[in-house]
This record gives sequence, structure tokens and C-alpha cells, in this order.
Amino acid sequence: MPFVAPTPPLPVGPMPRQMTSPPTLQQPQWSTASAQHRENSVNLLRDRQLLRTHGSEPIETVAPPPLGHSFPAEANCNPDVMSCTMNAVPATAELLRRSRLPLGLAMHPFKDLRSLAIIQANVIVRCRDCRAYINPFVRFSSQQRWRCSLCFLDNDLPEEFLYDPISQTYGDPSRRPEIRNGTVEFIATQEYSVRPPPPATYILALDVSQVLSPDPAVAKSATAYLTAVSQTLLRCLDRLPGDTRTQLAVITFNGVLHLYKLDGPRPSLLAMPDLDGDSDLPMPEGLLVTVAECRDAIVELLESLPELEFPAVPGCCLGSALAIAHRLAQSSGGRLLLFLASRPSVGPGALSGPAGSDSDDLAGQPATDYYKRLALDCCSAQLSVDLFCVGPGHTDLASVMPIAVYSSGRVHRYPHLPDDADRLASDLGRHLTRKLGLEAVLRVRCSNGYSVAAFYGSCFVRATDLAALPCASPDAGFAIQLAVGDGAGTAGASEPVVFQAALLYTGRKGERRIRVHTLGLPVATRIEDVFAGSDQRAIIGLLAQIGAERIITGASRLSDSRDALVNAAADPLAAYARATGQRGAGGLWSPPGIRLLPLLILALLKWPAFRPSVGQLDERAAALAEVNFFVGAAPVI
Amino acid sequence: MILLTMIARITDGLPLAASLQEEDRAPNLQEYQSKAKQLFRRLNVSSPSRCSLESGPYIFHYLMDRGICYLILVEKNFSKRLAFAFLDDIQAEFVNQYGAKVESVTRPYHFIEFEQYIKKARKNYTDSRASRNLSQIGVELQDVQRIMVENMDEVLARGESLTALDDKASHLSSLSKKYRDDAAYLNLRSVYAKYAVFCIVLLLLFAYVYFKFLW
Repeated sequence: MPFVAPTPPLPVGPMPRQMTSPPTLQQPQWSTASAQHRENSVNLLRDRQLLRTHGSEPIETVAPPPLGHSFPAEANCNPDVMSCTMNAVPATAELLRRSRLPLGLAMHPFKDLRSLAIIQANVIVRCRDCRAYINPFVRFSSQQRWRCSLCFLDNDLPEEFLYDPISQTYGDPSRRPEIRNGTVEFIATQEYSVRPPPPATYILALDVSQVLSPDPAVAKSATAYLTAVSQTLLRCLDRLPGDTRTQLAVITFNGVLHLYKLDGPRPSLLAMPDLDGDSDLPMPEGLLVTVAECRDAIVELLESLPELEFPAVPGCCLGSALAIAHRLAQSSGGRLLLFLASRPSVGPGALSGPAGSDSDDLAGQPATDYYKRLALDCCSAQLSVDLFCVGPGHTDLASVMPIAVYSSGRVHRYPHLPDDADRLASDLGRHLTRKLGLEAVLRVRCSNGYSVAAFYGSCFVRATDLAALPCASPDAGFAIQLAVGDGAGTAGASEPVVFQAALLYTGRKGERRIRVHTLGLPVATRIEDVFAGSDQRAIIGLLAQIGAERIITGASRLSDSRDALVNAAADPLAAYARATGQRGAGGLWSPPGIRLLPLLILALLKWPAFRPSVGQLDERAAALAEVNFFVGAAPVI
Repeated sequence: MILLTMIARITDGLPLAASLQEEDRAPNLQEYQSKAKQLFRRLNVSSPSRCSLESGPYIFHYLMDRGICYLILVEKNFSKRLAFAFLDDIQAEFVNQYGAKVESVTRPYHFIEFEQYIKKARKNYTDSRASRNLSQIGVELQDVQRIMVENMDEVLARGESLTALDDKASHLSSLSKKYRDDAAYLNLRSVYAKYAVFCIVLLLLFAYVYFKFLW
């Protein structure tokens, strides 16, 4: 369950910005003497009542300190959208190393927000060197010039920026919505579109290999999932995000591939026996059709889907189905909803070999890289794949999962199907009707001296600070690990360190938009301030995603990941004891911001993703994918 | 085969709708798209309303009407009559559906939904039974021989050389005006110089006479 952290109120009623004198940063409100620190810190061995109540209270978090009255009240973005593991960023790499805490950002860039400032301007104001967007932390040196808060370069201000559209006044650029809000959305101008916006395309690929199974329970679960899927799609058909050009295609597969011609008055089934041939479509038109035009045929097909007579060929040709879907969506991109019921056994991408014991250390890694390569092809065609695993048996999810993980899709698993049908229907409904962000790219920029070291999440990482998301999801979370370089803190203790995340996407009506989130934090030069500002919620999110990613890509074994997580909880406490001179004082002292960290790490280690032995391998794979997708998925305690 | 269709507003070059023919055999259309965008920026009300521009192995045909430009990119062997018939068709339908709203939109590709109609019309016009289409529409078209065929690059470069020429001409006229003023001034000074000598001599004579005879 996602956390909702209560944030303390920030100072209200900002004073108007001074034009000439640089604003000063209020000193952070934590104590400066280590004795006072000892009063605030918690002895974990003695104090057992760390949680106020049992169960459902959200985990407390340390909010970023107020930055002073010179910055507007909403200058920082919502902490649920983007937060940093430390609310006072260390000024040097040495300080970061001494604290043994990870420095990073945990973000949900496309989260559904209740209020969002949308700006339509002829020119989007950006720094000419680092290309950062204008944000609440810039300084205006005169009416026509502004200084970038990331690279400290002076830039020109266009005339129209002096006009504030909300209050209809002229003259003070600090009243513009870009300067007052930490999260803004720009309507992009022409230069941000590579091609005309494509129509929203939905392709459904359904595995029907279990429908004709001799085991009645298995056949019943297969029919149950087909019923749930077709009912949900019928219900959501009119609410699919997109304009009048929205397209839909349906593919089903068992041992052969079945395509459906939907542009006549009635749907007709085409079976494609040739699996290994090159994936040319049997007919150029009729397979991917506009929903508005061919609605009757689509509705008829969906209603009859659970009772349809499929050609009885055993096996599961997942690779061919994916290749055909990729071919259909090549020019427009879009979303592929893939339902898998059994292990792929024929055609390209067939998996074979023993299932492996579940306590095997290598159990999280894929057996072949066919699906990863296919995922990268889908990414370049802007096609995102969501995987729903609906089979009761072993589907080797760990090998098939990369198709979703690298194309910004999500993995769901429903092992107990006729009972889980409601959950499948509601998840699928959310998937179909949630907000759409096609052809998206996400880039993170940091102040001078700080840089992005690694990017974690369900996306394709094109460069260290750039991720490609064929379809951005409001539920997706990303973790960014940051590194402190040489130029950090040279601007002085009064300048905030600014992190900016920008997501460029195509909305449901075909408009290109840029959502920008900015976070400004003070610099810490002393170890006590670093510990006082650490935030356990962001830290656990970052660690969980790093751990899941390492196992999925095969970079480390399960036991190594578990050890690393335990060290991640133990090392900061040891460093804190060293820093505040409490070694040997008896008890285990922890700064208030991370007092729940050991408890959270223990809970994470019990999660199926990191547990040493789970009932089914697929369960571990699905749990790993979920942790990778959704920062903050650590269990509620 | 019609490879690319674009509709844009002339005043600022804002694209309103577009449709790309994505085929395995079609070339990379990126550079032609950027050429089309440059062309939209160069066109103004005084450009010819129908024109064909060669560019590499393909030809652009465009039609301008009421501040909107309709442009297609076709292969060289595609009949010109068909191309302009297609342009007339989409022009009529676009004005019918969206004509009133064109001036007020600001975001690019606002009418991207028109792509569906463009796709259907394209299918009609690129049908292999084109001769039937030709005979049906031939009588209605204007005489396409009068439509100029030019080279695309020359059009793009022409704009630049014209503006350069314009600058030089205005510079020249201001320089010549300055030259004329300077010359008049010098002329005046030399007149003063000439008459000044004469006046001084006269004055001295007058002073001599005055002091000699009248004192």
C-alpha cells in the first residue's frame, strides 16, 4: 500500500521577492550541538514502541525544512511526487561516505495530482547551457535576466514572462506560476515533437492454451479469466483514453496464432500456422481498427470470446504473438496487454529446461535474453507491454518478465483464478482507464557538483539521466541514485541544491506536454545535519528498487542482495554512533529520521521478492517486478 | 504513392494535421518533414496558390487557401492531376469541418483527428484503378500546365538571397543619401570660402576709403 506522509505546514504568506538583493537561506532548524542531538535520537534497544499504533498508520517522514521566506510556499514539489533520501544534502563525497546512507531521489513523476498548474506559452524558458526549466529557485538579477539555480549561468528573460496570466498583472516575474509552484506542466511547442502524435493503440494478446486442457479446474480458470477480461474491456471500451482515432486489435494464441479481422460487419478468425516465418501480416488492413468505426464487430467478438472454439493445437507460441503485435503497432506505438497462462513452448522465444528449485540463488534471473531484446525493439517502436500472468502452473515468469520491465509495463500475477477474477477485473479496469502518457522520456538534472549515478525502475535507461518510457503510468515509481562530485557546495551554504525531473509525454488528445518537478534542499556541511535530515521512506524505496534490479538483471545473487540490505541498515547506525561519539555508551542509538529503518528492512526481507524460499518461482519473479515498478511498495507494517 | 500529407497555418507555420504513410519500403521521411516545415515558414500570401516543388526523387505539391497550406509528398511518377484532385478533396473537407476554428488554436497538431479522413481519401486516390478516377475528375481541374514546377532548394534559398538583396538595396539608398548631403555641404562650404575672400577684400577697401576721406 502506498504511504501518505503528513507534511508539516510550510510558512505561509511569502513576501515579494527582492529584485536586487540575493535572498538568504534561513538556517535549518535542527540543533547544532551534539548533546542536543543525543536528546533527539532514539535508543532502539530500549524504546520498543516505535510505531504509535498497529497497522494502518502511515510511516512518518521528515519533511524538507522550510527554505526561508524568500522562496514561495509551494516552491518544493509534493513529497509524494519526489523526495530525497536526505533533506540536507552533503556538501562533499567524503561526508556522504562517512554517513553510510544512500543519496538518491524517489519519485512518481506522472502521479495523479489534484491540482496542477498548466502553462501555455509561446516560449518555454530554459537555461541556455544546462537546459533546465525555469523554477522557483532561480534568482532574478534584473527585469530581463535570471540566474539558473543549477549551473548559475545568467540567461535572458523573454518579454512575455513579465506578464502574469493568473492575476493579470504586469511587471513582477516572481508572480508567474512557474516561479510559484514546484510542479508545473507546460504545453510543449512544436520543437518537442519528433512526429505527429500517433493514435492511442491498444492490442490485446490472450493465451488460450489452457482452455482445452483435460484438467477441469485449469479449464475453468482459463474460461474465468477470459470472461473477466472481455467483461472489463466491454465496460471500459468507451472510456479508453485517446481521441476518435483510438485503435484496437485482438490476438489469441495457443500452439498457433489467431488473428481477428474486425473491419467487416462481423469479426472473423484467421489462424496463422506458420510461426517462424518473418512476421508479415496476412492482410494490411482490418486487423488493427478504429474503435469508433468498428465498434459492433469488436463488441461481438468480446462477447463471444469466452465460448469461442479455438483450433486445438497444444503449446504456447508467445514469441510469435509478440512479433505480430510489434508489427501491428510499429507505426503508432501504444499499449500491449499480454495475458500469459502457460510457459511458452513453441516458436521463437520458446523456453525449456527444468524449473529449478526455488531456493536456488539464481532463481530470479531470465533463462534467455530473447524477451529483453524484443522489449528493446518495442521500446523503439514506442510500444509498452503489460504482463498479466493468469496461469495456475509455472509459466517461467522470470524469463518472460523482461518484456514488461524494459518497456515501462507492469507485471501482475493471479494464480488462484476463479477466486481472483474480481481482482483481475478491477486491476485491468484501472490499467485501461488510467491516464496515458505515450512516447514519454524522463530526464533528471541536478545542481553543479551532483550527478545521476544510476536510474532504477520499469523503463529503458538510454543514458544515465535519461529514461525512455513508451507509456508512462501514474502508478510507476523510479529511484535515482546520486553521486557527489567535486563542484558540490562551491556556491556557498546559502544556495539550495536543486534537483529537477522533467517528463515529456503525449497526452490522450495528442498534445505534447512537459511535466516538471523541482526540489530544492539546503546543503549540510556537518555529519550531524546529514543524519538529522535523513528520510527513511525515501531510503527504503531506493534500497528496495536497487535490490530488485540487481536480482532481475543477474548482477548479484539473492543471498548477496539480502546481506547488502542488512548492511544498509547496520552501517548508518554504526556511523551515527561514531559521529556522535556514543560508541560503547550502551544501547543502539539512531537519529529520529531513520529510527524505523531496521524494522522496514526486516519487513522487506520477508517480502516474497527477497525471501530465501517461496512456494513458487513465479511468485518471486512477480514480486521482484512489482518492487521494481513501484517505489514505496514496501509492505505496510 | 502519397508518402506524406501536412496541413499548416501560413501565418506562423503551426502544423494543424499530418499523416505519414509508414511502410517498410518507404524511406526515412524525417528530412522531408523538416523541409516541409521550413517551406511553411517561407510561404506568405503573395506566393503562388498552387505549386509543385521537386526535391530529390520526390515531389511536393501544395495548395494554399484562406491562410492554410495543404502539402503532399509523392513519388515522381504520380500523376499531377491526381495529386491536385486529392489536395482539393482534403481542402474542401478540412474547411468544412474546422474552417472557423483555425485562427484561434495555439497548440501544434490540434486537428490531428483529421488524419482519419486523410487516410481514407488517400486510399481512394492511390488505388491502382486510377484511370477511372482520372476520367471522372479531369474535367473539373484547372489547367495544371500553368502550375509552376520549381526546385525546392531554390525556393528555400531564394528567400535568403532576396532578403540579402533587400538589405543591400536599403543600405545603398541610405549611403547615397548621405553622400548627397555631404556633397551639398561641401559645396556650400566652398561657396562660402569663395565669397568670403571677395567680401573681406571689399571690406578692407571700404575701411581704407572711410578712414582716408571721411575722418
